Amino acid sequence: MPPDPLQPDSTLEVRDLSIRFRGQALDLIDSVSFSIARGKTLCLVGESGCGKSVTSLAIMGLLPKRAATITQGTVRFNGTDLLDLPERAIEDLRGNRMAMIFQEPMTSLNPAFTVGHQVAEAVRRHKRCSRAEARDRALQMFRKVRMPAAETRLDDYPHQMSGGMRQRVMIAMALVNDPEVLIADEPTTALDVTIQAQILDLMRELQDDTGAALLMITHDLGVVAEIADDVAVMYAGRVVESGPVGRIFEEPQHCYTLGLMGSMPAIAGRQGRLLTIPGAVPAPEAMPAGCRFATRCPLAIPDCSMKRPTLVADRAGQSVACLRAPLDQIVAAQ
Amino acid sequence: MSDFILETHDLQRRFRQGGGLLARATTIHAVNGVSLQVRRGETFAIVGESGCGKSTLARLLLRLIEPSAGRVVYDGQDLTALGAARMRALRSELQFIFQDPFSSLNPRMSVASIIAEPLRVHTTLSSAARRARVADLMARVGLRPDMSDRYPHEFSGGQRQRISIARALASGPKLLIGDEPVSALDVSVQAQIVNLLEDLKQEFGLTLVIIAHDLAVIRHMSDRIAVMYLGEVVEQAGTEALFTTPRHPYTQALLAAIPVPMPGARPVRAHLGGDIPSPADPPAGCKFHTRCPHATDLCRSTRPALLGAAHQVACHHHATLPRPDLPLGRTGTRSPAAAARFELFRAASQTTSPTGKETTQ
Repeated sequence: MPPDPLQPDSTLEVRDLSIRFRGQALDLIDSVSFSIARGKTLCLVGESGCGKSVTSLAIMGLLPKRAATITQGTVRFNGTDLLDLPERAIEDLRGNRMAMIFQEPMTSLNPAFTVGHQVAEAVRRHKRCSRAEARDRALQMFRKVRMPAAETRLDDYPHQMSGGMRQRVMIAMALVNDPEVLIADEPTTALDVTIQAQILDLMRELQDDTGAALLMITHDLGVVAEIADDVAVMYAGRVVESGPVGRIFEEPQHCYTLGLMGSMPAIAGRQGRLLTIPGAVPAPEAMPAGCRFATRCPLAIPDCSMKRPTLVADRAGQSVACLRAPLDQIVAAQ
Repeated sequence: MSDFILETHDLQRRFRQGGGLLARATTIHAVNGVSLQVRRGETFAIVGESGCGKSTLARLLLRLIEPSAGRVVYDGQDLTALGAARMRALRSELQFIFQDPFSSLNPRMSVASIIAEPLRVHTTLSSAARRARVADLMARVGLRPDMSDRYPHEFSGGQRQRISIARALASGPKLLIGDEPVSALDVSVQAQIVNLLEDLKQEFGLTLVIIAHDLAVIRHMSDRIAVMYLGEVVEQAGTEALFTTPRHPYTQALLAAIPVPMPGARPVRAHLGGDIPSPADPPAGCKFHTRCPHATDLCRSTRPALLGAAHQVACHHHATLPRPDLPLGRTGTRSPAAAARFELFRAASQTTSPTGKETTQ
């Protein structure tokens, strides 16, 4: 595979990843591709069920094998295809050079152990060191994530902490071994807006420090605008549009991106009635063979449900998968 | 007839928590002296972060829970003094939409019987007339009437919220209170429900009270806003005034924390440090003083009153505070070409559904 001219030195590179769930006749995740360079942030954006979380689990090797099969594609981490590695090699990477932060810190922390123990355990799983050294390292991380009263907090159990503090623990645990790739699945969705602001600032700052490549999964376009360098918009298991964050926000091209952005109420003030996307995501068995958005797209033509659109990139690095693109031609024709 | 359809006077609600043989129970002031006025026909929003008491307040407004002290006056009648029978009759005018469309619908009732239940309670319609009214309500909220025999689990989240709305409308209410009515929904579905609520408000002449934490939704929908912090209203104003010239430091921090969907828009943010204090052990004086960058000794000792006419604020120092630089007013950098694409999408989506109203399949 030739190196991507736009991303010559990607830390993480996903190519044509397809995933099929047991009992289904099509790849629900269908040829998803993106790459993230060192120190950069890519946001995967989309609504529930679009496959953004499944994609991230596949990258981490956490897909339940009985329920889902990777039917094609590669996941390269510093050039090595993770899908070729044996389970034990993946286990050594996970929580070490690749780490993940989940949405709900309460369910991803063990309620029976202190948070300090859990962070120290993450160190000892991957590095030879004494318990005292691991605890020191945990304390260091607690200070780094600006945990108030870090030293005493080490001995707290998860239930003794607020949601914001638990998310700080998750971040401390994820970053304790200086990962090169960090995947964050809706890390601030469960938090209040003032706490979300603290956590986003913290993540950005730590990323600047460590140079980790960050894959952020979110449905909140405000969060995307704050943190992303690049954006990939997913709909029903496919990337429909991707590119640098400025381009996606200023020059959205795909109908789904337009619909998604237009349905968000503007914080700058009311701008008339909200746009809506008619209908709902089709069930897997009713998925059109062509563009998966065709059933809901107000601009769809008969060809759209038959022919699959490919992602076509422009010179600014923005790609869109739409038979009717560029829409500007339709505007001009009217 | 008064201008105000709903008023509260020094409304309070305390909860006792814990307690037992050895432990002493703690008292939580979930709602602590709230006085507000909702105008007839407006959309009034109550915002705040988790634990601020906004959901408790919403339930107090309809007397779904009893207040510890204070009064709720609806259309000149003191709800807190009404007897059970009178209150029950009045409920036809006061309806509630819950946040979670998965737990607020009885899974063992068909959609038709869910929507018809308020009709059975509050009207003397024949069963044929009820059926016709249910079909009418379903069509009105964008559900196909032929789905009336299905059960809630057969519907998506957005459709279930439509069922909840149809049920709330069945008894012909004048006041609708929604506790986070759209926050459990995806963005595009949320937009459908927001538009639906606005249409219905117009059509039925409703007054809406919306509880929410999403400030963009609030700005879009509401005419006036009350901001709550630890059981108290700290600021109350018209929507434009609140978003452009917030006076309370908490409102300012809340607005500054919103991620703006415009890359590069946000200035380096002044942090609001720390967490919300426990409502079981709230700080003395102004409850915000532990996190407020402008707090003085006065704030630590004396609770400020909510003062002002159209724009009310509970802060000792609001007159002398610096104006925050909020990125919210800045509009996006959409190019004319992009604006034309959005317009193309809007026009096309209106012609594909002939009524211009969104329906689910």
